[in-house]
Amino acid sequence: MALCRPGMGIRIHLFLFTLKLFTTNKYSMSTQHHNAGNVQHLYEGDQSALYSGVMQHHTDINSTESRAQVKRIWKIFWILLVITVVEVVMGMFFSHHMPRALVAFLFLALTLLKAGYIVSVFMHLGDEKKNFLITIMIPLTLFIWFIIAFLSDGFFWLHMNTTSPTRNKQTTEVVQQVHEK
Amino acid sequence: MSNATATVTAVEPKSWGGGRSPFNVSYGKMMMWFFLLSDAFTFGAFLISYGTTRFFSAVWPDPNQVFKSYPFGNNLPLLFVSFMTFVLIMSSVTMVLAVHAGHYGDKKAVVKWMLWTIVGGITFLSCQAWEWTHLNHEGGWWGSFTDPNTPVSAFASFFNTHKVTAQALSAHGLQATHDFFNYFFTITGFHGFHVFSGVCLNVMILVNTVNGTYERRGHYEMVEKCGLYWHFVDLVWVFVFTCFYLL
Repeated sequence: MALCRPGMGIRIHLFLFTLKLFTTNKYSMSTQHHNAGNVQHLYEGDQSALYSGVMQHHTDINSTESRAQVKRIWKIFWILLVITVVEVVMGMFFSHHMPRALVAFLFLALTLLKAGYIVSVFMHLGDEKKNFLITIMIPLTLFIWFIIAFLSDGFFWLHMNTTSPTRNKQTTEVVQQVHEK
Repeated sequence: MSNATATVTAVEPKSWGGGRSPFNVSYGKMMMWFFLLSDAFTFGAFLISYGTTRFFSAVWPDPNQVFKSYPFGNNLPLLFVSFMTFVLIMSSVTMVLAVHAGHYGDKKAVVKWMLWTIVGGITFLSCQAWEWTHLNHEGGWWGSFTDPNTPVSAFASFFNTHKVTAQALSAHGLQATHDFFNYFFTITGFHGFHVFSGVCLNVMILVNTVNGTYERRGHYEMVEKCGLYWHFVDLVWVFVFTCFYLL
C-alpha cells in the first residue's frame, strides 16, 4: 500500500551521471551490441559488469555531485522529522476532538507519505529502472483488497455477531452508548 | 510484464537480449527486494489482523493512556515512542550515508556511518526493552487479562474513560485489553527481532569493511543490500507507530 500511492516520492535522477560515465562501457545501456564471447564468464564470476547500477563507485566524495546527494538525504530527514512531529502533536492534543474518520485519513496519509520518501529516496527505488519499480509495486496492490476485506469483516462481526446472545445484547447497547458520547 | 518488456525493448534494444541485467541490478540486490516484499506481507498480515480485531471490538485501549510513561516520569503520552521513532529515522539516515560513502569507495566514512547506525539500532532496542518491561509491570503480556474475575480497575487505566462508559468497560474491557497486548507484544516483538537481526548484519558489514573485504572486491554493494534491510525495518516501524500509537 505504501508503495502504491500515485506519484510516489520525488524522482531525481541523481545517478544519471553514473550511467553517463558508463556509456563507453561495452555492456552498458546505450551499447548496441556486445561481445558475446565475453558474456559467459560474467555469470560465473564478478557480476558487476552486467549492470551499471547505482553501486558503481566514483572516486571523489567531496565532488559537487556527492554533496548534492548528501544534501538531499538530509532534506528527506528533515521532512520525515517534521511529519513525525506533526503526527505526534496531532495525536497528543487534537485527535480526540476531531472526527474519527478524518483522524484515520490524516494519519494514514502522513504515514504513506513517510513510507514513500523512505522507499524512493533512502532505498533508492526511485532511482532504479522503472520496470523494476513496477515489478516490486504490483504485488503490493494486493494490500488494497486485503485491508478493505478484513476491516469490513471485523466491522460486520461487531454488529452482526449472533453466536452469543449475551455478547450480542451487550455489544448493541455498548455501540449505541459509544456513538452517543 | 510483456507490455512493459516490449516498451523497454523498443527504447533499449539490448535490455532483454541477454548478457546484462534487464533491471540493471545485481542478483543479490534483486533477491533482497523480493525478500522484503514477502516480509512486507508478513507484517501487513499482522497489522491487518490487528485492525480486524480492533474493528471487531466494541471498546479499545487508548494509546494516550497506555503509552503515557517514560523513564523517570509519567503522564506525557507519546513522548517516549516519539524518541524511539526519532532514533530509528536517524539511524536510517546514517545508514543511507554509509551506502553513499560506499558508492564513492570511502572506507573511513563507511566505518563511521555504520558505527552510528549500530549505535542507533542498539538504542532503539534498549528503549523497546524498557517499554516492554514497563508494560509488563502494568500487567500486560501474551495471554494476560484472561481471568473473568479480574476487577475493572486492573485495566481501566488503559482506556479513555471520557469516551467509554463504565458498562462498556466492564462488558468488553477485559477481552479488548487481552487482544491489545497480544497484538502489541507479537507485532513489536517481531519488529524488534528484525531490528536485532539488522544490528547483527550491520556489525558483520562493519567488520568486513574494517578488514578491507569490500575494498578488495572493488565495490560496497553488501552495505547497500543490508541498508535495504535496515530501511525496511524503519519503514515497518512507521506503520507500527501509526497503528499502535496514533490511531
